[in-house]
Amino acid sequence: MSEKHSYVGKNLQRTDVLDKVTGRGKFTADLKFSNMLYGKLIYSTHAHARILNIDTSEAEKLPGIKAIITAKDVPSIRYGLSPARYDENIFCIDTVKFYGDKIGAVCAIDEDTVYEALKLIKVEYEALPAVFTPAEAAAEGAPQIFEEYPRNLNTEIHQHFGDCDKAQEEAYYVRTDRFQGQRTIHGVIEPHCTIAYWEGKRVIVHAAHQSVHYLQHHLARILGMKEGDIRVITPYVGGGFGGKLDVSGLDISAIILSKITGQPVKMAYDLEEVWLNGRGRHGMDMEYTTGVTKEGKILFVKNEIVIDGGAYTGLGIASAYYAGALLTVLYNFDNYKFDAYRYVTNLPPCGAQRGHGQPHPRYAFESHLDHIAEDLGIDPIEIRIINARKSGDVTPNGYELKSYFLKEANELARDASGWKDKKGKMAKGRGIGVGNGGFVSGAGFCQYRTDLPHSIAMIKVYDDGSHAIVYTNAVDIGQGSDTVLRQMAAEGMGYPYDDISIVSHDTDLATLDFGAYASRQTLMAGWAVKRAGEDVKRKILEMAAEMIKVKEDGGYRSGKLMPEELDCREGIVFMKQEPAVKITFAEVARAYFVKNGLLIGRGYYHPGKLGGQHKGAAVGTSPAYSSATQVSEVTVDEETGMVKVLNTWDVHDSGVAINPNLLHGQVHGAFAMGIGETLWEKVMFDEKGKLLNGNYAEYRLPTALDMPPVHSMILDTFEPNGPYGAKEVGEGATTPTLGCVANAVYDATGARVSSLPLTPEKVWRAMKEKREREEK
Amino acid sequence: MYLPNFEYFQPDSIEETCQLLSQFGSKAKLFAGGTDVIIKMKKELLSPEILVSIEKIDQLKKIEYVPGKGVVIGSGVTHNDLVYSELLHEKYLSISEAARQMANNQVRNLGTVGGNIGSAVPSADLPPILIALGATVKITGVKGDRTMDLEDVFIGPGKTVLAQDEIITEVVIPDQKMTGSNYIKFGLRASGALAVVGVAAAVQVENNAIKEARIVLGAVSPTPVRAKKAEEFLKDKKISDELLAGAGVIASGECVPITDIRASAEYRKDMVRVFTRRALRKAIDEGHA
Repeated sequence: MSEKHSYVGKNLQRTDVLDKVTGRGKFTADLKFSNMLYGKLIYSTHAHARILNIDTSEAEKLPGIKAIITAKDVPSIRYGLSPARYDENIFCIDTVKFYGDKIGAVCAIDEDTVYEALKLIKVEYEALPAVFTPAEAAAEGAPQIFEEYPRNLNTEIHQHFGDCDKAQEEAYYVRTDRFQGQRTIHGVIEPHCTIAYWEGKRVIVHAAHQSVHYLQHHLARILGMKEGDIRVITPYVGGGFGGKLDVSGLDISAIILSKITGQPVKMAYDLEEVWLNGRGRHGMDMEYTTGVTKEGKILFVKNEIVIDGGAYTGLGIASAYYAGALLTVLYNFDNYKFDAYRYVTNLPPCGAQRGHGQPHPRYAFESHLDHIAEDLGIDPIEIRIINARKSGDVTPNGYELKSYFLKEANELARDASGWKDKKGKMAKGRGIGVGNGGFVSGAGFCQYRTDLPHSIAMIKVYDDGSHAIVYTNAVDIGQGSDTVLRQMAAEGMGYPYDDISIVSHDTDLATLDFGAYASRQTLMAGWAVKRAGEDVKRKILEMAAEMIKVKEDGGYRSGKLMPEELDCREGIVFMKQEPAVKITFAEVARAYFVKNGLLIGRGYYHPGKLGGQHKGAAVGTSPAYSSATQVSEVTVDEETGMVKVLNTWDVHDSGVAINPNLLHGQVHGAFAMGIGETLWEKVMFDEKGKLLNGNYAEYRLPTALDMPPVHSMILDTFEPNGPYGAKEVGEGATTPTLGCVANAVYDATGARVSSLPLTPEKVWRAMKEKREREEK
Repeated sequence: MYLPNFEYFQPDSIEETCQLLSQFGSKAKLFAGGTDVIIKMKKELLSPEILVSIEKIDQLKKIEYVPGKGVVIGSGVTHNDLVYSELLHEKYLSISEAARQMANNQVRNLGTVGGNIGSAVPSADLPPILIALGATVKITGVKGDRTMDLEDVFIGPGKTVLAQDEIITEVVIPDQKMTGSNYIKFGLRASGALAVVGVAAAVQVENNAIKEARIVLGAVSPTPVRAKKAEEFLKDKKISDELLAGAGVIASGECVPITDIRASAEYRKDMVRVFTRRALRKAIDEGHA
């Protein structure tokens, strides 16, 4: 046991691997209950309209129909993420606000009957003029979607630090660029599904969700229930990426329909409904004005972002703040002006998606920074190194970076990719590009105002010490949190990994945690399980000190031991000074049980008070920030504009990797999502606001054949604010990709495409326009 | 998305298939792999009450060489059958390669040659290469058989000359004087993307000159379309890069593409120019590869 850790830093087998590769594992849609009914939502077929009448009489006559509900049958309460923007109703009252808005719900004995009923429900509308872009929404005389959002402006942010105007006067060079980011969707493998049934006054909700706690909390508010009367369980979840964090119409409807019918009700989206209700990435128009010194040191950044929010707010308020919050984490400058305008439009509402609000601005700024470097004749990686923040920095908007190694990430990516031999020396049609990113390791504040701890864990040891169970409401949505939390619990306890199982994401069985979002599980739930493990260990060592008898002739020591003289690793309690003096964990645990009863460990985590005092200061706070650099090589077909990514190098500064293989898996997945958003993906609508490409043929996620080899590398760093020195990787790894690939395409062509995605046609057109400019 | 109810017939013979189609008229729809029909039914673009499946008719599932006739491909042959056919690898690898670029493995396992033609989707990948190789089709109905050139089968998007009771039974690739053929599909991702432009070329090369050429364009007109002016332009000319580029320019004027969510008409026209040249070059240099 010469190694520092027994389980941390090891590629231990995933907890869920056999269930998932054999298909034995159950997802929500796999669950069946006796007398279970099937439900569907009734959707609007107008982008903006007044509901004149809903006639359900024909549908009600169908044999097998159990209940049909609309706004008149449910509370008229409004909900959302922040009280100032509670703008969504359970079902539309009076008006529908997008094509796909929820008008009601139906349930029946089988799915066939539900679909038949949907066809028989007649909704009469009076069409209203609609707005589909922020520009239309903001126009003089534009139709108002909500009374409380004049000119449809839903969120306005003005965060100003330092003195940009003064810095602008002093700058050697100032440049302005504009970019556009498109609407995208998460592309979860598992469409949303919820099953609800009642047991007396309590309701049991099985849902494909990222946070059992938030679902429980929001449902309690919406339904006027006590949190304790709602039990939320998530079985295996097939990906979330931010799309399973808002309360969905399925959740609320299944509960209400089950109450009415007295039977379990299952509700699920089909794929197209995921696009309509899944709350993907916002479209953004972004303008950056940056001033630098002759050497490329950034003096100020002015950043204005206009955001297409869709019909409701939900998590979109946080997306808007995140869009500008984290730029200051990457680069060191004091003068920053961030202005954002989020408009409501008559399109599906947008919300959180991997990297929350940040990937588009990262694409824009990384592209902008490359232009500045080019104008000054500075190498793109060099300008990033010059400006990279360092450990110990505090940003002007109040974030403290304990460990931060963006400079080192750039250097390793540069050297591993052979950048110096390639940049500017590549054959025609080939290019190399760099992009930086990173993310929070958990949000510094709860979604709602509370003083609750962010994560609580408990470990229960069997009476004979032969097994232990970790309890946490951290949610494993495929990222592997169950596995890394077992690793950290085992390490904390000094107990065999294979003898620890985990009970997670069940509000009745496990313990409070805010769930899987903002890349928080490893750090926050990690602290709680580590501390719970250490609590068990403390009790074991105290007990062991009473049990171990050191022989008189031991030479080094005699008499009774103190707990501090002992340690426990891998199920063996031993004397630190003389490891041969030992006793098994199991023996000690059994003795503890006989003497004291149940052996449990308890762990608690709260990040403490973080951040500054300005409006919106909470968003972007975190105990730890990751950083990442990606370098990609591409070819561009000069006649067609088709981009092929040949190779990519990702360096992640994520502290100590608890399970390196899981980290690399996150990086590969993040890169796939990133190139998809860079090159192919875009949610499209027709002129009436109807979704055009709610399928994977026309919404082009990357396939395996589109993926280049990914060289994922981990910097050897340690985060003081993270359990065992760990910080995040899940979302941060998506954020450099868009800028990185876009910069490689620019390097290959000399033509900048300033809107995502970089489709072949846009690249073709940019190259054509460049040729035409040069011919003049 | 919801698949409505329907009745399902699975006859054993071509004759019975035609009889069922005739009997039920417009209520019935022929069903092979279902990769198009089922999706259209779910989207309510098609609402047949009856599906007549050819799944059990083994004689439609053969790929064989018949001396004096050519390579005969049954209409029930799947795309992956084309991909893995040794006979095609030997004679017309270009057909296998065209099939390999289609959709994804799941669709290639189910979708059929007859369906790819009969659905008459403008962006279908097989018709251009088959037409370039001068394929004919055998069409069978209750009154018997007829044979026609494949290029005459298409009338418009989703429309063919087939009568309600008729099915395509085989596709015949005659013995060639063409020395090379090739199909380039241009989709917007490496797999699972419809063609934005598809160009097939077949050439007869003699003494470094093109004796005859056939160029067929997919996804840029209501039906697969021959670039006849470009073919004429190439006839009896010495091969050069300029010549092939010239043919590309001419071909790009011989299509009437639309602007849709995948690409603009302007872009498609230019891609016809590019891929006509590239397909010709490949057919010249690499034979039927």
